[in-house]
Amino acid sequence: MEIIIQQLLNAAQLGAVYSLIALGYTMVYGVLRLINFAHGDIFMVGAFIGFMLATTLNMPLVLMMPLTMLLTALVGVAIERVAYRKLRDAQRVSLVITALGVGIFLENFVRIVVGPQTRQLPAQLPDSVLKFGSGLIITEDKIWIILISLALMIILWLFVQKTLMGTAMRAVADNSEVIPLMGINLNRVIAVTFAIGSALAAAGGVFYGQAYSIDPYMGIDLGWKAFIAAVIGGIGSIEGAVLGSFMLAGVEVFTVAYLSSNLKNGIAFGLLILLLLIWPSGIMGKPLLKKV
Amino acid sequence: MKLLEIQQLSVSYGAIKALHGIDLELHQGEIVSLLGANGAGKSTTLRAISRMLPMTSGQILYKGENLAKIQAHNVVSRGIAHVPEGRGIFPSLTVLENLKLATWTVKTKQLAPRFNYVFTLFPRLEERKDQLAGTLSGGEQQMLAVGRAIMTDCELILLDEPSMGLSPRLCKEVFQALQQINKQGKTLLLVEQNANMALKIAHRGYVLENGRIVLTGPANELAHDSRVREAYLGTHKHSLGNS
Repeated sequence: MEIIIQQLLNAAQLGAVYSLIALGYTMVYGVLRLINFAHGDIFMVGAFIGFMLATTLNMPLVLMMPLTMLLTALVGVAIERVAYRKLRDAQRVSLVITALGVGIFLENFVRIVVGPQTRQLPAQLPDSVLKFGSGLIITEDKIWIILISLALMIILWLFVQKTLMGTAMRAVADNSEVIPLMGINLNRVIAVTFAIGSALAAAGGVFYGQAYSIDPYMGIDLGWKAFIAAVIGGIGSIEGAVLGSFMLAGVEVFTVAYLSSNLKNGIAFGLLILLLLIWPSGIMGKPLLKKV
Repeated sequence: MKLLEIQQLSVSYGAIKALHGIDLELHQGEIVSLLGANGAGKSTTLRAISRMLPMTSGQILYKGENLAKIQAHNVVSRGIAHVPEGRGIFPSLTVLENLKLATWTVKTKQLAPRFNYVFTLFPRLEERKDQLAGTLSGGEQQMLAVGRAIMTDCELILLDEPSMGLSPRLCKEVFQALQQINKQGKTLLLVEQNANMALKIAHRGYVLENGRIVLTGPANELAHDSRVREAYLGTHKHSLGNS
């Protein structure tokens, strides 16, 4: 029983990190109909910005985390501005290839600047070991990662549902052509979407670096996983991205714990295929709503 | 007072010229109807005014200001609202959210009177205000699209085929609302294939054919013009340009 609870917490922690990345995929897809394949690498850039701030400036987490999110948001906005905007009306495949190129650029840029080694973010979350009952052991940082991630997701949800900018983001997903007729600058809405998606990925990067280690290529694997999670949940749907992330993390963690770590990816990707056969547009994805 | 003045406006889609130097003007408080067959350039004219399409030559003056250099999203704050062809509502947003979004450029926080105005004009929208716009009937969606235009601070509303796909009864309802909006001070430029309906509420009209204005005059004269009757009001289709 204790082991199951511990594994559930491991899954929740990994699911939280996946969610923070998957949200960026799903939000950018919502406004641009683009799978931003550079997003996993934006997550990696976030982790390294956090690493630099924490190590060279000795910044405490309460400062480092928001600043990392802000700086990574600027990176995301810059990528959209420089690499994607001009291609917005081009064929989708040109955009996808550009996104892949941006990803490779980011990986190599970070590798040159900070080196290819694996690093560890200094542990900055409270990490006392909590013991419950007959043998349940929980490290405190896990709880913090899960709670802060959930708080960020709730803030995002409220922003998207309740504010005018959030409404505009959903409207862009519906019908971007009409957006200027409402007096709304489409470029601004898209920039804000990239900023938020990148900031969340940065938070994921910082948490990932607290729990595991970081390297310039970490974004590839994690990015794919989060992308899969977003697709399982229904790409374009915020709730779906979170649901898919926790499901995928659960499957992975329990496969490793009870079957074999070699099967982890096979089962995760198999699950993707299986679920998409049942729900072609993802669990919470909506089939295109068209009015005649 | 001249609200809108279009001089020698030409618009091209690639190599195809859609408008060949048209002249058009609107005075404050008018309903002006732009008639013509499919592909005559009616929607193109509206899309050029709201800057959704670049113009090749000519100019569009709104209150004396040339719109050529203005970006599409800045046209709304000048006072021009565009109800696009096919209504262009946001189906996965609620009716209320659709209306709220149209207040993007509105400075005042006092939106209640504006909502009330839209809901008095279209009581059905109030009944369905929390419903997703995609679940509305075609007529209700058209009301929503017009309601959205009113929510902006506009003086001029460009309407692209508001009668399209509506039952005659709903059509009448929408046109009555348009007349009321006009009486309360808004200027309307109305693009219609339903010339009968349009000329009933319009003060003046223009007839477009193959990107050129071939006829213009007061609405009642156009409605009785034998050429208009033959081409747009009757059953016999023939070109005005050749007559």
